[in-house]
Amino acid sequence: MTAPDAASPPMTMAPAPEPEDRTYGARFISRGRLAARALYWLGWLSFSRRSVVTSGVEREVYGLGVGALRLVASASLLVGLIAMFQVAAQLAPYGAETISARVVAWFAARELGPVVVALLVVARSSAAIAGELASMNASGEIDALRAMGLDPVKYLVSPKLLAVIVVLPALTVLADALILTGVWLGSTAFLDYSTGRFIVQLRESFVTRDIAVGLGKALVFAVVIAIVASDEGLSAERRAAAIGPAATRAVVFSLIGVLAADTIVNAIFYFIPGLI
Amino acid sequence: MLRVEDLTGPTPRPVIHDVSLAVPKGATHLVIGPIQAGKSMLMRHIVGLEHPVSGRIFLEGTRVDGAADSDAQLRRLRARLGVVFEGSALISRLSAVENVELPLLEHSRVAPAEARHAARELLSEVGMADAAERTADALGRSAQRRVAIARALALRPPMLLLDEPTQGLDAHAAHEVDELLRTLQARYEFGTLIFSHEVRHAFGMASQIYVMAAGTIVARGDREALEESENEVVRQLLHRRGGR
Repeated sequence: MTAPDAASPPMTMAPAPEPEDRTYGARFISRGRLAARALYWLGWLSFSRRSVVTSGVEREVYGLGVGALRLVASASLLVGLIAMFQVAAQLAPYGAETISARVVAWFAARELGPVVVALLVVARSSAAIAGELASMNASGEIDALRAMGLDPVKYLVSPKLLAVIVVLPALTVLADALILTGVWLGSTAFLDYSTGRFIVQLRESFVTRDIAVGLGKALVFAVVIAIVASDEGLSAERRAAAIGPAATRAVVFSLIGVLAADTIVNAIFYFIPGLI
Repeated sequence: MLRVEDLTGPTPRPVIHDVSLAVPKGATHLVIGPIQAGKSMLMRHIVGLEHPVSGRIFLEGTRVDGAADSDAQLRRLRARLGVVFEGSALISRLSAVENVELPLLEHSRVAPAEARHAARELLSEVGMADAAERTADALGRSAQRRVAIARALALRPPMLLLDEPTQGLDAHAAHEVDELLRTLQARYEFGTLIFSHEVRHAFGMASQIYVMAAGTIVARGDREALEESENEVVRQLLHRRGGR
């Protein structure tokens, strides 16, 4: 009845919450460790039949994903229209505005879709994740879990990580579709494109590979957002006043993290021939 | 059952000093004191969240104060020590029954279906059968406290620690929690150590009361002995400022 559970990462001592002015190196190491533990438990969650965390994941998916649908949908449609106007304006002097849809469609799948969704999720959910964990820290609930032998990373961070990993690519597909809808609206209403011509341009520019690259980026962004926000929440000081700053730091560092990750991925595609 | 000897901690800056107490099997002891007296820190040491500077903690004769140094030891300790934390500390996104079955799934080898069945029975015992599927954050304070008690008893521990178990509850709900603890204790014969700053709470339940102030135990004894005490902290706690 009381035999210890199967192999698990050590959780011997509660890591002391670190002060708000952690160095960047300390943050990087802390997030690396958290990511390793969260991914370990994610693997466990995927295969264990003893997990009750799966229902928690469903609720996280609902909160993080379904709740963001309207925001992502409306923002993506507007971004599609904006991109269409901007690109058409830049190409007009060269008489090339007719290829605007083609350019935007390609860019939407590879860049706009995943980045817009990631930034919206950061704005909407990073602060919520960090605030929830910081609040639990302040009220002693994180310590309570540790005291009961329940790893907070396993029961709090991994479900959030899995939820964001599920939600971000799904929202990215939706965003891609709605950005293209925005492009279609702009090109047919203002550039006198026919729908048939738009579809031809779309088919010429849009390949499965572009969508795959966008979804790959979404996965990377998901890990960055979930880990950065969770780390800021878990490492907040044990006082109510630390909740707000933790949420703010989560948004700031998640934004920078997403853009840095995007830069690195784009640099890899640019500098390694054949990848693009 | 539970014995704390000359405990000073935590490392590196001690907050509690030379604390000693002993809770026999099936007994209910109470640690009271004003806020910041060191009660929570004492509890954190007992559950292995803090390293003591010196002193020893025994649970059923086994020394456990070094538990935080060993993963396996810590897991064994947690399986034998039920803890109800201040504010209940349930996982808000999980249902009541999922919260209660967590210790079973984490610290035992029972099948998931058995764990679910045992969790439902426990919820029934604490009067929460109807709320089994509701998420923890949808429950009221009193209901959360009951679920937390069920979770703490899931592994049938010989010792139960409760931190401010009636804080935030009205007098009626607090009385109900007291009655529930009394009933469960009579059924399962676990020892109980209650940490509280509310003197009225459990004062009648406890056979031994420790009064903490400034990180140390300043008085101890049964209810009658403390009511006779001339110690200033005790008198303030019992609202007998005028004294005899």
